Amino acid sequence: MAHAAAAARAPERGLDVYTQKVGMWVFLCSEVMFFAGLIGSYVILRFGASDSWGQPGEVLNVPVTAVNTFILICSSVTMVKAFAAAEADDQKGIKLYLFLTFLMGAMFLGIQAYEYTELILHGEWQGSHGFTPQAGLYGATFFTMTGFHGFHVFLGVVCLGWAFKRSLAGEWGPKNTHGLEVLGLYWHFVDLVWIILFTIVYLI
Amino acid sequence: MSEAGSHSAEAGDAGHGHEAPKYMLIWVYLLVLTLAEVGVAFLGIPKWIIVTSLLIMAVWKALLVALYYMHLKWEPKRLRILVVAPLPAVAIMIIVIMMEYV
Amino acid sequence: MATMIAEATGQAILTEEHKQSFLRKYIFSTDHKVIAIQFLFLTLFFLMIGGFLAMMMRYQIAWPDQPIPLGGIFPESMVASGYILPEFYNSLVTMHGSIMVFLAIMPMLVGVYANYLIPLQLGAHDMAFPRLNMYSFWIMIPAGILTLSSFFVIGGAAGAGWTLYAPLSARPDLTGVALGQQMWLASVVLIGLSSIFGSLNYITTVINMRAPGMTWFRMPLTVWALFITAILGLLAMPVLSAAGIMLLFDQTIGTSFFLPEGGGQPLLWQHLFWFFGHPEVYILILPAMGFTSEILAVGSRKPIFGYKAMVWAIISIAFLGFIVWGHHMFQSGMNPALGLTFTISTLFIAVPSAIKTFNWMGTMWRGNLKLHTPMLFAIGFVAMFAIGGLSGIFMASTPVDIYIHDTYFIVAHIHYVLFGGSLFALFGAIYFWYPKMFGRMMNETLGKIHFWLTLIFFNLVFFPMHGLGMVGMMRRIYDASGYRHLEGIADTNALITWSAFALYASGFLFAFNFFWSLWRGKKAADNPWDATTLEWQTPSPPKHGNWAEVPVVYHGPHEYSHPGVTDKDWLAQNERPDVPSPAGGH
Repeated sequence: MAHAAAAARAPERGLDVYTQKVGMWVFLCSEVMFFAGLIGSYVILRFGASDSWGQPGEVLNVPVTAVNTFILICSSVTMVKAFAAAEADDQKGIKLYLFLTFLMGAMFLGIQAYEYTELILHGEWQGSHGFTPQAGLYGATFFTMTGFHGFHVFLGVVCLGWAFKRSLAGEWGPKNTHGLEVLGLYWHFVDLVWIILFTIVYLI
Repeated sequence: MSEAGSHSAEAGDAGHGHEAPKYMLIWVYLLVLTLAEVGVAFLGIPKWIIVTSLLIMAVWKALLVALYYMHLKWEPKRLRILVVAPLPAVAIMIIVIMMEYV
Repeated sequence: MATMIAEATGQAILTEEHKQSFLRKYIFSTDHKVIAIQFLFLTLFFLMIGGFLAMMMRYQIAWPDQPIPLGGIFPESMVASGYILPEFYNSLVTMHGSIMVFLAIMPMLVGVYANYLIPLQLGAHDMAFPRLNMYSFWIMIPAGILTLSSFFVIGGAAGAGWTLYAPLSARPDLTGVALGQQMWLASVVLIGLSSIFGSLNYITTVINMRAPGMTWFRMPLTVWALFITAILGLLAMPVLSAAGIMLLFDQTIGTSFFLPEGGGQPLLWQHLFWFFGHPEVYILILPAMGFTSEILAVGSRKPIFGYKAMVWAIISIAFLGFIVWGHHMFQSGMNPALGLTFTISTLFIAVPSAIKTFNWMGTMWRGNLKLHTPMLFAIGFVAMFAIGGLSGIFMASTPVDIYIHDTYFIVAHIHYVLFGGSLFALFGAIYFWYPKMFGRMMNETLGKIHFWLTLIFFNLVFFPMHGLGMVGMMRRIYDASGYRHLEGIADTNALITWSAFALYASGFLFAFNFFWSLWRGKKAADNPWDATTLEWQTPSPPKHGNWAEVPVVYHGPHEYSHPGVTDKDWLAQNERPDVPSPAGGH
């Protein structure tokens, strides 16, 4: 009799969401701390130190980065659309939106690579030719923060490629949305970090 | 953002049990804010106003992404507590270290 | 190593009808029990290495004018004509600390016992993410290899101390160590990744995978401690990774985050390091407190005194852990207003620590004490932790700390907490859960001898160090014999060194007992200690997947000497209640 009762009882109430989602959010908490370490150091080095910083647009190319920001925000909306399509069992939509997200992620990386090359080869900062990680704290923090963000985008793009490949086999659907939702959480987080970085690195 | 209303914490998945979030509307919202940010950054007004308004807009955008695209708006309260848990640690770290320099 | 694990756990898995390859079962296993045992062997190995480095340091401190025996077997870059070189001594100090913290104690507390106990004590089949769990072990291997091989690269291993203060650590020309330092940093970033993967797993498992009836306040204190520890690790390790990466950039690509000549801030390193470092201290002690609570309740045959107070004490220690890091930096020239704040917040930690200590004593008070080896180590933990905690209060106060900062007093304090605390509890935990892990008992007589030798020699090594610190012996000093104010301490140092050798030797007694018992130990019953928590209600060792059917939990974790039970003095958590659950059970 006890055993029958045991089989019937559900596990204890946790966070009321499925395990993979809890895991991703817990992971994102640690990512918050990682970027807090980098961004916090930036804030302290910039406002606590005597080293000089460039005005917005003086060294960094704001229009190009604004376009890049636009692309990343668009990729966020296509990601969430892919998830919505999976819930609605819209196979064509899943494939289309995942591909668009993948493409825009890759475009972001391409534009960032272009931006880096231009800065390193032709950037002008304090009279020296070329804006590199060695160009004072300004260069060091800029390349460290945007570089680590770019690394996260790269990991996301790799996962998006994997998700797209699976979508070709029709594996996503109303019964299998968890993977897309969890990947989406990561991707939106990367977008969210970029929103902060774009503001404090390029515009302030 | 009118659909806020009656979303009780549904066990399991966001996206079920509430009307579809207006993803495209949020997208437009984010773009407008981005343009506003770039505009404000190049206005010839005192620096502290620029910085404050930029920070407000950045946090606003981040909140939009977290609440709508990451579905936090429809998640159970328990998950939302978990998500904001590291923020006090971040605040303590940055504020205390900044105290060295002011 | 692989075959040993295979031998040890073979019995558990042979009974399974899994058609898994040898590699999948024992090497790249996703079973949390196998991963825990892999971590156990790895960390015991590093414990031995870290101890060996300490022995070399002790020899140098006691007899700086005598060549070290068998010095010839070391390369010329370490030991020249029998004498330990100062640069190598720096590496010894640094690597002893780093290895003990990052590769021995932390993974032993968390990698071994969080892995082993969380699913078993909660009634889960495995971790939430078994594959990630496997990665978190295998990331430790390159980290360990980097650490060990850094001794043999040009310039030797890292020599700037385990705290790696910049600019000493950031400029290779100051220590003469370039590559070794970078390997250290790379290894710490890897360990951080492993620890984040692990923490993620533990947190998710505790939150979402508890068996029916296992409410938050029915979780064993071990699980509570490991859960809170995982939160600390999750939030603290990434900050170290970020800081470590910036330091790595300072060394390799010429940035100057922490170099004043480039506009950087050395103090920023200290803040970031200790923002990680102080939670790390609690990562190293909270699980030990959890094991101790468990063992004391079992050995006293009484429920833990003040279970809920214990839980809240753990939580408040963890919370305070994030706002006290500045007490490591009173000498750094930081803002005096901050110094006062940190003094006060640090003193607050004494409150939950005292609650825990008094509750342990309350648990033992008038209990039916069973003084088996795990119990001895647990009692030893309480005593040693009290000494270490009390000397910690000295240091919380800025004026006192300024006097004893960077002396052997600090060395005594850290070892009372980390060795007398964490390692005593770990020895207790190894003796206690060994039968569950390997299906055999460790030898009691050898265990008791090991305990008494460890207790006596531990105190002979570290208690005199308080005095050495008070008379001004600097920590990390290569040769103390040249200072007038230190002339009188040579005999004390020789005594400490002889005791340290004996302490290390007693470790080999433990190692012998450990390996001998793997094959020759007495077969263990399923529940040899008459304990109540769920892991003891499975076979020893538990099968792959832990439970044929998921247990249902009816009671709190420490129902010993329950008045309603007459045939035995304990009530397992999953025992069907014929008696009403007592008040403390919910």
